Amino acid sequence: MRKATAIIILALVGYYFLSVFLTVPFGEKRNNVGQYYLHNTVRETGAVNSVTAIVVSYRGFDTLGEVTVLFIASLGLGAILFDKKGKKRRLQHASLIVRVGAHMLYPLIVLLGAYVFVHGHLTPGGGFQGGAIIATGVLLMFISYRSFETSHKALTYIESIAGMTFVLTGLSGLIWGNSFLQNVLPLGEPGRLISAGIIPIIYIAIGFKVGAELTGLLDNMLKTIKSD
Amino acid sequence: MNFSPVHFIAVPLFAAFLIPIVGRFSKEAVKLIPGLVLLYLSYVAISLYPIALQKPIVEIIAGFKPPFGISLYFGPLAAFLVTMVMLIGLVIWLYSYKFIIREPLEKYYMLFMLVIAGATGIMITGDIFNMFVFLEITSIAAYSLTAFLRDKDGAEAAFKYLLIGSFSSTFYLLAVMLIYANTGTLNIADIAAKMQTVPNQPKIFIMILFLVGFGIESELFPLNGWAPDAYSQAPSPIGGVFGGIVVKASTYAMMRFAFVLFNFHSMFELILVLGVITMLIAEMSAMRQQQIKRMLAFSSIGQMGLIMIAFGVGTDASVRAALFQVFNHAVIKTLLFLAAGYLVFHSGSKKISALDGLGHNKPITSFFFALGALAIIGLPPFSGFWSKLYILTSVAKGGFLASVVLILFSGIIEAIYYLRVVGRLYFKKDVSQDNVRRTPISGLVAMGILAVVILYVGLYPHQIIDLIKPAAHDLVDKAAYIKYGLLH
Repeated sequence: MRKATAIIILALVGYYFLSVFLTVPFGEKRNNVGQYYLHNTVRETGAVNSVTAIVVSYRGFDTLGEVTVLFIASLGLGAILFDKKGKKRRLQHASLIVRVGAHMLYPLIVLLGAYVFVHGHLTPGGGFQGGAIIATGVLLMFISYRSFETSHKALTYIESIAGMTFVLTGLSGLIWGNSFLQNVLPLGEPGRLISAGIIPIIYIAIGFKVGAELTGLLDNMLKTIKSD
Repeated sequence: MNFSPVHFIAVPLFAAFLIPIVGRFSKEAVKLIPGLVLLYLSYVAISLYPIALQKPIVEIIAGFKPPFGISLYFGPLAAFLVTMVMLIGLVIWLYSYKFIIREPLEKYYMLFMLVIAGATGIMITGDIFNMFVFLEITSIAAYSLTAFLRDKDGAEAAFKYLLIGSFSSTFYLLAVMLIYANTGTLNIADIAAKMQTVPNQPKIFIMILFLVGFGIESELFPLNGWAPDAYSQAPSPIGGVFGGIVVKASTYAMMRFAFVLFNFHSMFELILVLGVITMLIAEMSAMRQQQIKRMLAFSSIGQMGLIMIAFGVGTDASVRAALFQVFNHAVIKTLLFLAAGYLVFHSGSKKISALDGLGHNKPITSFFFALGALAIIGLPPFSGFWSKLYILTSVAKGGFLASVVLILFSGIIEAIYYLRVVGRLYFKKDVSQDNVRRTPISGLVAMGILAVVILYVGLYPHQIIDLIKPAAHDLVDKAAYIKYGLLH
C-alpha cells in the first residue's frame, strides 16, 4: 500500500515536472544574455573559448564559489575521517602488467591534465577538467602500487596557495581596477597561449587546486584501515 | 582600496585558504584568525551601513554590468542582516575559543568561517545562480560541522541533513534553470522586471520549487526533519550558527523572492498557513522532548513558523515585526544554545532531567539560560516581548484573528516547557558532582554580550526599530529593487 501510494505520487510529480520542462524552448535563438556572450566574448575577454570566458570572467565569482564548494567537500571529509594516528590503505596486489602500465601512463596523464588547464582559454576543457585528469592519474598509481604515497604537506600547500592566488587575482582587480576579479592585464592577441589577461592565471590555479583536492579526497577515502 | 561588500566574501575565503599553512606553524594563530576576520568584517559592515541606508550599494563583479555579470546588492536589509550575522559570528567564535578542544581544530575554524561567508553571500548577492553557489557553500559546510564530533548519532544526523539538503539545492537549481529558460537572465532585479512575461504554469511551478528548496533550509513543516537531529548532534556553538545564521539566510532568500518575484496573494497565504502549522507542530513536539538541545531545536522551528506567519501577513507593519523577530530569535536562540552547551558539559548528559539543581552549582551559566528562556517566551522587559507584541498586533490588524489565537496558544506551550527547565535548574536539589570544572571566561563573556543585547533592546526597542524600518522598506519595495539592481 505504501509503495503503491509512493509510486502514484512519484508519477504525478514526474508528470508535472515533465509537462513544465517540455514548455522550455530548446535550441532557439533568443534575445538573452547568452547571445551577448557569444558576440562579445573575444572582444571583451580575449579568450577564444567562450565557455571559459563565461566561467572564469563573466561569472568568475561563481567559479570562486565552486572552487570553495570543492574545497569544503574535501575539508569536511578530512574532518569527518580524521584520525590522529593516521590510516593506511587496504592491502592490494596489482599484477605486474598493471604496475608497469601504470608507471608508464602516470606521467603522460599528468602532462595531459596540465595541458588541458594551461590551454583552458583556447581549447575545450579548463582548470576543473585538468585537475580531475591529474587526480585520475594519481588514482591509477594508488590502485597499482600499495606503497605509493602523496605528501599531505605538499597537497595542503598546493591547495592553499592556489586558493589564495585566485582570491588575490580577484583583489588585484579591486586595487588596480574598479571591481573584484576585473581583468588588469593586457588581453593580448586572441588565440595565443599568453592572452586573455587573468583567465590563464585563474585556470592554472584552479587546475592545481582541483588536482590536489581530488587527490586528497581519494587518499582519504582509500585509507580505511587504522595503522597501529 | 575602499571598503566594499565583496570583502564579506573575499576576506573569509582568503583566510580559509590561509589557515592550513598557518596551522603548520601555530595552533593558536589558527584560533585567532577567524576572530580577526569577523572583527574586521563587523567593522566593514558597520562602516558601510550608513552608506547603504542612503542608497543601496550595488557592486559589480569583474567589471561587467548586470545582467551580463554578477552584482552584489547591499541595501538596508542586507546591511541589517549582515551586521547581525557578523556580530553573532564574533560572539560564537569567542565562545568556541575554549569550548572546541577536539581535533582537527583548524578544520573546525575553516568550516565555521566558510559557513558564515556562505550565509553572508546569500544575503548580499544580486544574482540567482550565485545564490545557488553560496547555498551550496553554506549547506556543505553545515553538513560537515554536524558530523564534527565523529560519533554515530552525529554521522546519522549529518547524513539525514545531507540527503534532505541535496533535495533543497536540486529543487533550487531546477527553479533557476526554468527561470533562465523563461527570462534569459540570472540577475534577480532583471528577472523581477521580466517576471510578468512568464506564463502562469511555469511561474507557479518555479514558485513551488523555490518554496520547497528554501522551506527545507528555513525549517518549514513538513520539510524540517533534518533540523532536530542536526541541532542536537552538532557541537553547541554550531547549534547557534544554524539557528542564528544559516536559517536566517534562507529565510531572507525566501522572502526576497516572495516579494520581488512572486508578488501575488496566494503565495503569502500559503506561507502564512505553512507558518501556522510549523509553529504548532514544533511547539507541541518541543514539549515532549527529553533532551535539552532537541527541545531548543524544536523551539527554533516554532520561532521560524512565527516569523513566517508575520511575513505571510505581508503588510509593512508585519514585515517589520518579522524582521524584529528574526533579530531577536538570532540573538536569543544563540544565547540559549551557548548556555545549553555548558549546561550539558557540566551535567555530563544531554537529558533535561540531569540538569536538576545546576542553578546552585553553576549560577552564571544557568542565569544566562534562564534569561534567554524568559526572553524567548516574550516576557517584558526583554527584547522578545516587543517583537512578539508587534507580531500579534500586526497579525490582528491584518485580519487573521485565528492566527492570533494560535500564536498565543503556542506561546503558552512555549512558556510551559521553558519554565519547566528553568524550574529544574533552580528549584530542585543539586545532584551534580561537578565542582571542579568551571565555565571559561571566554564562554561567559560571549554569553554576557548576548544577554546585554537582549536587555538593551528590551529597554530601548526604538533604536533597533529605526534600523528595521528602512530594512523592511527595502524588502517590500519591488520597484526600487529593480531600479537600483539594474543601475538605472
